[in-house]
This record gives sequence, structure tokens and C-alpha cells, in this order.
Amino acid sequence: MITLPQELKTLLEDNNAIKVLGTVDGDGAPHVVFKDSITLLEDGNIAYAEELDSSQANKNMVRGIWFDKLVSITVGKGKKSYQVKARPVKCAIVGPLFRDFLARAKEQRGADADVQSVWIITPIDCRDQSREVRLEEERKKDPYYNIHLDRLKAEK
Amino acid sequence: MIKINSTKEISFKDIALRYPDFPRFIILKLDLYRRGIVCTDNILERMRKNVPLPLVLRDGSSVLSVLGGVGVAGEYLLEPYKIDLLDGKVGIFDGEEFLDEADFSPDPQFYGKKTSRGTPMESIAQARPQRLDVWVYRFCHFWEGGNQCRFCAVNAMFKSGVESTGRVSLDPKDISETIKEALKEPGRFSQVTVTGGADPGEDQKFNSETQRYIEVLQVIGENFSGSRFPSQLLSCGLSKKQLKRIHSETGLLSYCPDIEVWDKERFAWICPGKEKFIGWDGYVRSMLDAVEIFGSGRVYTNIVAGCEMAEPHGFKTEDEALKSNLEGCEYLAKRGVSMMSLVWRPARASLFHRQKQPSLDYYVRLAKGLHDIRVAYGLEIHSDDYKHCGNHADSDLCRID
Repeated sequence: MITLPQELKTLLEDNNAIKVLGTVDGDGAPHVVFKDSITLLEDGNIAYAEELDSSQANKNMVRGIWFDKLVSITVGKGKKSYQVKARPVKCAIVGPLFRDFLARAKEQRGADADVQSVWIITPIDCRDQSREVRLEEERKKDPYYNIHLDRLKAEK
Repeated sequence: MIKINSTKEISFKDIALRYPDFPRFIILKLDLYRRGIVCTDNILERMRKNVPLPLVLRDGSSVLSVLGGVGVAGEYLLEPYKIDLLDGKVGIFDGEEFLDEADFSPDPQFYGKKTSRGTPMESIAQARPQRLDVWVYRFCHFWEGGNQCRFCAVNAMFKSGVESTGRVSLDPKDISETIKEALKEPGRFSQVTVTGGADPGEDQKFNSETQRYIEVLQVIGENFSGSRFPSQLLSCGLSKKQLKRIHSETGLLSYCPDIEVWDKERFAWICPGKEKFIGWDGYVRSMLDAVEIFGSGRVYTNIVAGCEMAEPHGFKTEDEALKSNLEGCEYLAKRGVSMMSLVWRPARASLFHRQKQPSLDYYVRLAKGLHDIRVAYGLEIHSDDYKHCGNHADSDLCRID
């Protein structure tokens, strides 16, 4: 497990941030969905709640834990954006964490809200995907790559 | 007398290498059932129980503990896996080698409470991770005259409870109150399963067993708002008339008469009570009738996989046994019935005690075969999947279908 930068931790804990889970199916086809329940746990893992055992995301998560496939989590708000590469490590269908996520779902969406499982995901890599940060990183690596000539022309 | 196999078993890790497209978790689960588990004193002290609740693997699937403990399970012929603490967490060990973390399913909130009659609620309904089991009748009459299934230890499992209470059947009011209390805990249960020992009754046609199940399902159903509720009945093979009554008079959703052994001749040998009172044809007919009543995909049956190879009359090779079971699965799948498998462990109180179990390789091939056939016939497993049951490696596989 890696230690996440504070800015990313803050985004993961922010209820107003956009949070996206990316997985792949058995054929390698990507599946990307919003998961507003994605949050940071005290031990540094990330967790989210699945509402359907039969969803494509859940099936891909099961495939992930069974065959050691990685998933991605993207979080963003305003101009800030991060991507986390992660490994599914646990599927909780009972217990304290499951109860907490279910209670939170009912708080947010009403008494009829339900949760089928809570996935715990261990981050193994992360990168700042904010536009300005990425552009600056690439510019530093090679200022003559990723640029059209008109931006380099002499001003007269 | 079967000799104890002293040669080293092929480990689950070797089997996992042999089947890279088969989930390691499920191979481990199969072998935990096959070889058995023992909990160290550290674990028992932490659980404060003699019989721990189901073990839950990291992928959310469960391994049910042997009810009744080692006294019923018998000694281990293969080296059992060890469940111990490692850095404060529950771990699965093969000898001294740590294999993986796991958890025990937590007690539901109704445990420790009593019904208005003073009955401990945990004696009425038992919790799996997401399932509530109600054993409404705790005696199997097939044992009278020695007609019990040869792999079965059910009467020994319930002996002490029945002796201490003096009752073999549960009171419907106790059941109703326990279910009501269980439903107060949000998200804790996804299904109620009702079962009990075989009771042919005076007419030997299972009418008393049918009536008992109807009464119990009705009092359970009073706790639900809709006409049906997620539920399964595991019973003897009932007649079409009996099944129609159950379907129309209760909210039951799915039905599972366990045939135990698919091969007809070995069924008669291994399950003499079932053969005497219902017969192999009666069981199959009951399943097919049930599909007409409950619908395709709502009818299940279990085989106690491996006991069809017991000596002296069982199949001599794993290939023969596999062929028979997969033929059975396909025959039933074509007709809307899902055949599931359980791992056979020869319990001390059973007639097959000390018989040799098949290899882990056999169980992997069987699980894959059963799953693939059901997929080919479009059968989805809902009432008997990893969450609503937890006992079947073959239905765990449907999680990624």
C-alpha cells in the first residue's frame, strides 16, 4: 500500500467530489461508473458500496480479487483531479464496515436505500491528473514534445 | 476398513497452478470443506464459543463450520487447515504456513435475546453471513430402522439440544418472534431457509411434514409486506399436490429437495430412507413438478459430492463419478432445475465414517462442470449463491457470469 498525498486524501473524503471507478471485464472491455460512496478508510485503504451483486462493476471487482486484476479510481473537484491504481482486497457482506456504509446510504438516499457489499481496495499507485500539473510535468521532461510549431514562433 | 492415506496431499496451491482460470479462493474454499478446519485455543478464546460461526473469506464467500463440532465431525483423516490469530487478525494456515486472512461472521443482534416464552432466539434461527436458517424439526425419522442416508449425522448433531429441551419441533410463535427480531437489523439477512428432518408421518406420505412447513412459512411470512419473500424450503421430495399447497398458502420463493446422489443405483444404496419412502423417480418428479409451480430457476437440488465413490458400492474412479453427476446436472438443467454440489466429509456419526474422500482435483472439475452446464442452459443461481447459501463452490462461480 502506498501513502496517498494529503490533497488526494481530502478529495476522497469530500462528499462533493466526483468519484469514478474503472474496471475491466473478462474480455478486457473497460467499465467506468460513478461511485459517490468511494471514501478513504483510517488504515489508508479505499472503500465503496455496491448496490447490486449483479452489476457489471461488481462482477469485474470479483474478477479482480479472484485473478489479481487492478482497478482504477478517479476523483476530481474543480481543477483538481487524481487517479489511483488499486487492488481489490476484500468484499464485506456483513460486519461493522458494511453496517456503516449501509447506514450512510440510508442517510443519503432514504430508508429504502440498500447495499449488497462493501469493497475494500488497496492503493498501489497514484498520480495527479490535474491539467496544469500534467502539462507542467511533461513540459519539464521535454519542452519540444507535445507542442505545435505555431506556439514556438518568434513574435514580431 | 479404509486405510488412512498417508501420502502427502496435493496442496491447493498446486491445484491452483493446474487450473489458472479457476479462482484460487474457490479452490481454497473447496479444500477447507474437504480437509476440514480446526480453530486454535487463541481463536476459541476470542470467539468465546466452542463452535465458531461461519468463516468468511476475503472475497465474501463463506465456509460453514461443522455444526456440532468435532464430536460429530469425527477425527480428521486428512490434515485439517488451522485457523489462528496472526497480528490480531484471523488467519488460515496450512500447517505453519499462513495462507490468507479471513473473518468470522458476526453474531446477529437477535442472538442473546429470548422469545416471550423464554426461548433463546439463537436456538430458533441460526445465522450465516446473509442467511437465516430455521430447522423446524430436529429429528430425521429415516434413522428409525437404520434407513438414514449413509453420509448423514443430523440426529447426532441435534441430539443434545433435543435432549435438553425435550422437543424436536419448534413452536411457531417462537419462530415468528425470532424472525421479527432478526428483521430489525438492517442489511443483515437476504434469505430465510426453512428445513428439518424427514418425517413421513403416519400416512407415510409426508403430509405432516408438509403441514408443518406450511404453518412455519405462514408465521414467517406474517413479518413481510409482500405476498412472496426471499426464502427456500429444503425438504423431502414432495408431491405435486403438496407443492401446490405450499406455493399457494405461503410466500415461499424457491424449493430444494436434495437428491444427494444422482446415480440411481447408488442413490438407493446410500439413501435407503429416501428410496423406501419416495424413490429416485419420486425425487426427480418432485423437482420437475416444482418447476411448473415455482418457475424455472426457482428449483434446486443438492448432491453430497464424493459419497457416490464410497466403498464398497460406489464408483471406482473420479472420472466415472464426474460423468454421472454432470449427466444428472444436464438432465435437470434442461428442465429448469439447478443441481448444486456440497463437499462430502465423512462425519463420525455417519455410516460412512472413515471412508476416503475424493481428491481436490475432483471437486474443482465438478464445480466447473456443474457451473458450465447451468450457464449453457441459461440458469441463474439466486437462492443458492455465495450470499444466500455459501455452501456451493459451483454457484460461487456465477458471481462473474
